[in-house]
Amino acid sequence: MNVPTEAYVALSGVLFAIGAMGVLVRRSAIMVFLSVELMLNAANLAIVAYARHWAGFDALAGMTGQTVVFIVLAVAAAEVAVGLAILIAIFRDRASTDVDGLAEVRL
Amino acid sequence: MATFVVLAAVMVVGALGVVLLRQPIHAALSLVGTLLALAVTYVTLEAHFLAAIQVIVYAGAIMVLFLFVLMLLNVQDAGPRRSLPGLRWAAYAAAVVTATAIALVAFWDGRPAPDPAVVSLHLQGGSAGGIADALFGELLLAFHLVGVLLLTGVVGAVALVQRRAASAHGAPKGFGLPAGRDLPGSGDAAAGKARALGPGGQR
Repeated sequence: MNVPTEAYVALSGVLFAIGAMGVLVRRSAIMVFLSVELMLNAANLAIVAYARHWAGFDALAGMTGQTVVFIVLAVAAAEVAVGLAILIAIFRDRASTDVDGLAEVRL
Repeated sequence: MATFVVLAAVMVVGALGVVLLRQPIHAALSLVGTLLALAVTYVTLEAHFLAAIQVIVYAGAIMVLFLFVLMLLNVQDAGPRRSLPGLRWAAYAAAVVTATAIALVAFWDGRPAPDPAVVSLHLQGGSAGGIADALFGELLLAFHLVGVLLLTGVVGAVALVQRRAASAHGAPKGFGLPAGRDLPGSGDAAAGKARALGPGGQR
């Protein structure tokens, strides 16, 4: 019943790779954004797994790891709010969220 | 171990659904399923408070925001990108290679799982009290910075949408008018309407 830490890390890596694939493959910006959320959650899973691992040696390290995930969740909420606002602004301007057509923001 | 295998299968299938399903609504709902399975995984990792937060904030608030915007914009994903034809297969290959590499390295450098009794003693089931101790102690600066970030995010989101709304309907109303001139429809407009109706004008 005691699942080793590396199993969780491997699962996290698989989820991260799938998310990165979505970022590359998807055409609509909002689907790219969904894939980024998947990558973010994969990273969170790795942090929680490492937090449990280090909690076997140090109580403070385990709780600090879980608190970092808590902060990442708050940052993700802010990121989603701003990102979706940008998407709505782009959609109002162009009536499309196709990432291939977005060249306005380049230098 | 059986629990982990089932959860991992659900999460991988859900993640593939996010990436491969054509309908954006289906992909978003697939992500909701993945996030709920992730919350259960947090429970198996002795992070109960994080599991609750994951369900409330991620599967609840953030995904509702996503579904709201998806339905508002009525996004249709018309297949893969056209600008780079080879990108699709390159992305599939890169994902397989990356996932295999990370999994191989993780198992190659495998360490035995920590003693469950010690973990339970140290984590206290990932309670809110333990998280608060770290949040208001070692990570107090990060806590304050997150407050600033959230305020900035809210103001930024409102400002982004607001400005586009004003310019989409012509010049922003009530802006740049000379002093002393009232906007139409405000101030003495009610009096003008009363005048137009005439004496005793009650319909």
